Amino acid sequence: MFEIFANLGAGFVNALAPLNFAMILLGLTIGIVAGALPGITMLNAIVLVLPFTYLMGIVPALLLMIGVYCGGVFGGSITGILFNIPGDPMNVPTTWEGYRLSRQGKTQYALGLAIMSSAFGGLVSALFLAFFAPPFAAFALGFSTVEFFAVVIFGLASVSVLGQSSMPAALISLFTGIFLGTIGTEAQYGVERFTFGVPFLKTGVDFVTVLIGLFAIGEVLEQLVAVGPAAPAATPERAVPRLPLLDLWPLRWPLLRGTAVGIAIGGLAGAGATVSSFVAYGLEKQISKRPELFGTGHAGGLVAAESSVNGSTGGAMIHLLTLGIPGSAATAVMMGAFLIHGIQPGPLLFTKQPEQIYTIFAGMILANVVMIALGFAAALSFALLMRVPAPILNTFIVVFCFLGAYALRNDLADVWLTMLFGVIGFFMRRYDLPIPPLVMGIILGPMAEQYFLTSMVSHANDLTVFVTRPVSAVVLACALFMVVWPAVRTRQRRASPQGQ
Amino acid sequence: MLAPRLIAPLLGVALAIALYPGTWGLDAVARGTLGPGFWPRLALIGLALACLAKLVEEWRREKAADASIPLPTFSPVKLVAGIGAVVAYVLLTPLLGFALATALFIAGFMVLCGTRSIAALAANVAIGTTALLYVFIKLVYLPLPKGDGPFETLTLALYRALRLF
Repeated sequence: MFEIFANLGAGFVNALAPLNFAMILLGLTIGIVAGALPGITMLNAIVLVLPFTYLMGIVPALLLMIGVYCGGVFGGSITGILFNIPGDPMNVPTTWEGYRLSRQGKTQYALGLAIMSSAFGGLVSALFLAFFAPPFAAFALGFSTVEFFAVVIFGLASVSVLGQSSMPAALISLFTGIFLGTIGTEAQYGVERFTFGVPFLKTGVDFVTVLIGLFAIGEVLEQLVAVGPAAPAATPERAVPRLPLLDLWPLRWPLLRGTAVGIAIGGLAGAGATVSSFVAYGLEKQISKRPELFGTGHAGGLVAAESSVNGSTGGAMIHLLTLGIPGSAATAVMMGAFLIHGIQPGPLLFTKQPEQIYTIFAGMILANVVMIALGFAAALSFALLMRVPAPILNTFIVVFCFLGAYALRNDLADVWLTMLFGVIGFFMRRYDLPIPPLVMGIILGPMAEQYFLTSMVSHANDLTVFVTRPVSAVVLACALFMVVWPAVRTRQRRASPQGQ
Repeated sequence: MLAPRLIAPLLGVALAIALYPGTWGLDAVARGTLGPGFWPRLALIGLALACLAKLVEEWRREKAADASIPLPTFSPVKLVAGIGAVVAYVLLTPLLGFALATALFIAGFMVLCGTRSIAALAANVAIGTTALLYVFIKLVYLPLPKGDGPFETLTLALYRALRLF
């Protein structure tokens, strides 16, 4: 333990060297801005900065990428909270609650909570990485596609808590999303599905086009056609974020649960921030005494989702640093940076180059602390847009959606899809079909399919493998509980005298 | 007359039935194991069953005289105009080029949203379009559509005037 503290101390000294610290700041700034722009994801930003790292040493290069990573996973929450446009799929649950809070005039509160919980999740995750990386990696290495499938099903099961008003409506939305996720060329066999001979559908429906369309365009149309007095985009308070340290105390349990979910799921190679944010949100709603308040601007849901997103960053780094196996697409690019500099990540790194490893750990810790300041500055800049009159704001939101969709593949077909999903999103709102399950379906559905089919090939179509492997069995049992418990609770409420 | 709330689930069932045959030939490559048709089949069956459950729910609600809850009203004219503006924007972009199409869209959509001040319209069209062009061409290097025929010439002239090239 003493050795870890000593190494970490040396790591802080290295990370605070002017060049290294400047790289953290630069990376965070790039990450937050890229994360906030729809269509430009955190992963895009990491890939874009990779060529610039060729001329750097490995430590500043990795600190730059870590800055982009930590900033990027948070950045998408800003536009999600302010404009209902999640920058990345992982920011979707934050958007569900944050935007509602913003509409209630609690923009400061929502932004502050998002920044603080994201930084907290990232900080704890980085500390976990520094102290427990090797044993956790050894444990997680035993997981296969069977366990990953169970975790994704756990995420999908949270639809049961999203369909509070009507479970069939939530399921319609979910299965529509799962079906949309199957369009395109299937990954395992290379078979085209439901492409109808349309070339751009061969690569599938990009979920970013769906996200932008359903959330942003749908919302703009909703505001455009509103009859009578416009829905109050209540901004009685200025949209400037504040430091909600005292506000965070009553939310300490969602914060801790979200962080724990983030670390655990981030530590599963291949799962990542998107799955962890959905699972943390669903779990929080399940545990909550007032689940009906979720989706209406629930601070606990926002805090849990946001802390889990950044909480997953440390978990995802564990595999890369201890085993040389990237745990996510972002860490795969970082592995590229290691290899470019002639360093093979893995267990030997801890014994041969501990100073570099602990500088990276210290860099992650510093990045999350500095992110509080930079996050506030970024949120402040974006929040100024809230003062722009609605007609101008809505018009430019449509233009940004156009650009966000077009930037995906430089193809107007993606823009058409975005606009189509915007109209679909509008009518889904009108006919009480919840949008979140559709988003979950299109994001998690393809993951579930891939893990399921790979498991079936590996285990000779033996479906019992999902219940005979202990971790998978426990996670699936939790998923089942998540689905059954709301129904039981509803029955109990109806049976109780108060419910009657 | 068909109750509005029944439209979505009925459409869902019809869509699932219409798409289901598309899964039939997909498993030929799998040879004895679950193939690429399994997952979409599962999704379509799930969709159809969920839609049927929704129909039952709506029928029960109607029986319980709860159907009086009206769907929220909206202005259909504004909706058609809004969708029309967005469709026209995407449709005209390859022809007019991003710059001109965006300028027209900003002006049109702002009017649709209720802006009447000519100064506000002009300022937003000019500053907004120019700023977008600078950010996405000069900084992000996004190859935005330049338009066709004379509009391409016009766009290129605009780019030169703005020193984007």
